[in-house]
Amino acid sequence: MRQAIKQTVIAAVSALAFVAVGSVAAQAAESQAKSWNLIDEEKARFEGTVVDVMCELTGDCVESCGGGTRYLGILRADGELVLANKNGQPNFAGPVVDLLPYCGKTVEVDGLFAPAGAGRLYQVQFIREASQEEFSKANKYNKSFNARFPEAAKKKGPWFRKHPTINALIERDGYLGLGHAADKEFLEWFE
Amino acid sequence: MRQLLKTTGAAAVVALGAAGALSSAHAAGKAVTVTGEIMDTWCYFSGVMGGPEATLGAAHHTCAMWCAAGGVPVGLRTDEGEVYMVLQMENVSMADGSEAVLEVQSDMITASGMAYERDGLNYIVIEKVVENMGITNLSHEEYGLTPGFAIPKGAKKRILGQ
Repeated sequence: MRQAIKQTVIAAVSALAFVAVGSVAAQAAESQAKSWNLIDEEKARFEGTVVDVMCELTGDCVESCGGGTRYLGILRADGELVLANKNGQPNFAGPVVDLLPYCGKTVEVDGLFAPAGAGRLYQVQFIREASQEEFSKANKYNKSFNARFPEAAKKKGPWFRKHPTINALIERDGYLGLGHAADKEFLEWFE
Repeated sequence: MRQLLKTTGAAAVVALGAAGALSSAHAAGKAVTVTGEIMDTWCYFSGVMGGPEATLGAAHHTCAMWCAAGGVPVGLRTDEGEVYMVLQMENVSMADGSEAVLEVQSDMITASGMAYERDGLNYIVIEKVVENMGITNLSHEEYGLTPGFAIPKGAKKRILGQ
């Protein structure tokens, strides 16, 4: 009897493991995401609902997922809340602008998972509403920056060199954040 | 027998409903006071800038401001290495990279608030910044700048008086 129970448990665990491995393999096989050579990155294409993470965790909900002020996630059918951490642009841009139009909608996303402690973060590279044929690239941050800072948008260079608040803080505190004397001392030693 | 089946079925439906209600309920928060550095979670975890220690402190200060402005989730990392995703700080939402969010990048702070755990990640809603010690991690002395282009060439010349 004990042997029978043991075999049943082993079979059940094996079946669950098989399903889990199969599911991970399937989401990676369908993925068109590009590698970023991240530490232990995992390509993943999956469906879920775009949610306001603050609302999902605490019950403090606002209209339109906060309109760009709150971090967004993708709530999968299995209950996992995937924190969207990065979009597909190689220029310090997050995913909020790209996901915001899909607030509350079921989407399919394609991108990369990266381990984060006991959890994982997601880089969104492509997104489409469940009913759409084509994926859109998750690369909308520059447009959003230009709309928000029209004067900065007129200047040459990447957005992060033109951000008026960051430039004002650098002007006040230096690049290291420790004051201009610290920047000078560091560069004299380092360069 | 039919009555028994009906009763059992009803009980099962009630049990499933309760389970559903529990699974969709919001996570229970825990009141905490934590001390740690405000940091850039993408560069820290993904490895795009090298080892995690190089993406903390003064070495990564400018980049941390860039990522926070871009809407990359801001974290609070304790000395024990535990990272909380900061959802809100004294009623300021974080994702739009407002001045209040940029001001505290790389700072060591003590904060009280509510902590949540979900799917292996820690989150915090900071109700009060009890103390802000400024930038205390002088990581540039060990790692230089991450990324190396954080200070543009023209600015380097200006700073060095060349």
